[in-house]
Amino acid sequence: MDLIKAALQAPVVGQDFLTWLWFRSEKNGWNFTLKDGGELNVFLEQRLSVRGGSGENVEKAVVTGPHAEFTEAKLGLRNGKLVDKSLLRFERDGNTWMVLLDADSFSLSGLKTPKIETRLEDGDDPDAAFLEKMMLVEQCMDYVDELFTQFLKVRLSPDWNDELRAFREWLEEK
Amino acid sequence: MGLLSTSGSFTRYAVVEEMTGQLAAQLPELLARYSFRDIDDTSDERSYGWVCLEDWLDPFWRAAPPEKAHFLAFSLRLDTRRVPPAVFKKHFQLALKAEKEAMKETGKTFITKDRKQELKDQVALKLRARFLPIPAVFDAVWNLRSNRVYLATTNSKVKTLFEDYFKLSFNLTLEPLDPYFLARRLADASRHAMIDELEQSPFAGR
Repeated sequence: MDLIKAALQAPVVGQDFLTWLWFRSEKNGWNFTLKDGGELNVFLEQRLSVRGGSGENVEKAVVTGPHAEFTEAKLGLRNGKLVDKSLLRFERDGNTWMVLLDADSFSLSGLKTPKIETRLEDGDDPDAAFLEKMMLVEQCMDYVDELFTQFLKVRLSPDWNDELRAFREWLEEK
Repeated sequence: MGLLSTSGSFTRYAVVEEMTGQLAAQLPELLARYSFRDIDDTSDERSYGWVCLEDWLDPFWRAAPPEKAHFLAFSLRLDTRRVPPAVFKKHFQLALKAEKEAMKETGKTFITKDRKQELKDQVALKLRARFLPIPAVFDAVWNLRSNRVYLATTNSKVKTLFEDYFKLSFNLTLEPLDPYFLARRLADASRHAMIDELEQSPFAGR
């Protein structure tokens, strides 16, 4: 387990991923096909932060708002910044998850799952609420893993240059 | 922060060593062996250990067992005594004054560096005994099937404490599932060298 390598590479991989995810989800009409054939809607929500530079010259722009168009964030991208935090909304089969994903560590902040029933009735398994909650939490983590796997597939292939070209066209659109 | 609350923050880990049935059977006993010890009646600066997820005042798992289907659920409790700096400053000044008073009788006026440090330690110890420790609790869930661990915080100090104490308790290593380690786990082994050398992509063009 090379922690020094990880400290160097994690932000590189993580920021590439979140930047790609913004573009790819908008390009896909917010729709991703999962490996089980099901569909997952992925939206970027209300809060997005972009970062550029390094060391003492780090510059950040945080965009928030209920219907943020992310114009400022896009401007940041044009100036070479990359996404370093993004509030994501996952929707599947009428269920909604929200999570703020950090590009450097992949820590999952404010993870909101679909609501669960916490009141116990007679005869219920006392762990029922815990198990249901864990299933929903892990589902959200699985979605992150699946999207990340799809990213890695293209990022680690010769197709990445085509993907970057498509990205730049998208960036010029607005 | 309760795991069942509407929204929670998580750090993910993979356990590096393999999970065996024998190991899984030992875990509840190890949790109990490294459980939290109360320091309310001492002057200890801090104490930490595992407690029951359902009741953080329970280091004996009387309220509920840690095993829940294929999960092991527990909490890390961390109690810390904090003496406010201004309080410490005041009592250290008082101790210096008293020391100077006492020195007058012997005709000395200079307090050595070592003696000052000694006074500092004495004041700190005396004050700590008068302040109650502040408790904090962080839930953790171990999926024994996938051998992944979720810690309900993103605070880096707590993360480090959790990783170290996990190693001490179970003799197992936690690998943080950050983008680098997760990429190595999700991508084919033939791609690992590439992940090690990746550079930031020129998204905006050059």
